[in-house]
Amino acid sequence: MENKFNFEGLAWKWMRYSAFLLIPLVWIHAIIQALIVGGHNLSLDYVAMRWAIWGWRVYDIFLLAFAFSHGMNGLRQVLMDFVKGSRPRRLLNGLIFFAWLLLTALGATAVIGGVRMP
Amino acid sequence: MFQNVKSTLSGYAKYRGEGHIAFVLHRIAGLATVIFLGLHIIITSLVFFAPSWYDKAIQIFRNPLVMIAEIIMAFFVVYHGVNGLRIAYLDLFRPDLWTTAPTRKATRGVFAVAILLWLPALIIMGHSLLVHGLGLLGGE
Repeated sequence: MENKFNFEGLAWKWMRYSAFLLIPLVWIHAIIQALIVGGHNLSLDYVAMRWAIWGWRVYDIFLLAFAFSHGMNGLRQVLMDFVKGSRPRRLLNGLIFFAWLLLTALGATAVIGGVRMP
Repeated sequence: MFQNVKSTLSGYAKYRGEGHIAFVLHRIAGLATVIFLGLHIIITSLVFFAPSWYDKAIQIFRNPLVMIAEIIMAFFVVYHGVNGLRIAYLDLFRPDLWTTAPTRKATRGVFAVAILLWLPALIIMGHSLLVHGLGLLGGE
């Protein structure tokens, strides 16, 4: 057993612990938007109405942070099964990290900034 | 890279068993979900970056083919969740149960639970597909 910082071990644990949180977080989100409200009722007005309640913005930030990091790390773990060699792996890790950071920043900016009515 | 893909795919085809089917389905479902999620984040962020595009962008989700894909996505999300719960529980709390016989039983149970939980989504989203996607049952 080694005691130094182990990223892959931490990522392994992250996938499992975040899974427990994502069950209620994702399912409640999907049940409300896809089943109760319905995809055909989504609109700019609906998002504005939803985000008028700050609790839902906090909820969506959690969703964004946990679901997308779980998803992108999962993608990384799957691709690592196909990509061997330390240089391609480093490149892949970098690309996925950059994509994760970019989309998380994009989503977080929208949630915090809110709907800008045209 | 190509050799890895080839050996993995032939491995998928040759090796059978519930545990392996669960493994493959979990990955396919996860992959589909993260692709959907990426698009979902980009489209939703339009409400801030380009609000006049948002209502146009979500027209995609009124396309019948996309609505069918969404119904399949719903199954993927449910299956990935239920199966993920099984994996997380075994890995973190009961690694001693990671043996062939209990795994076979659990993967079948997971599949059954996922189908059951998916049925309401199938009915509601299927109804919406008929009414709003295809203009049937008095829809437009």
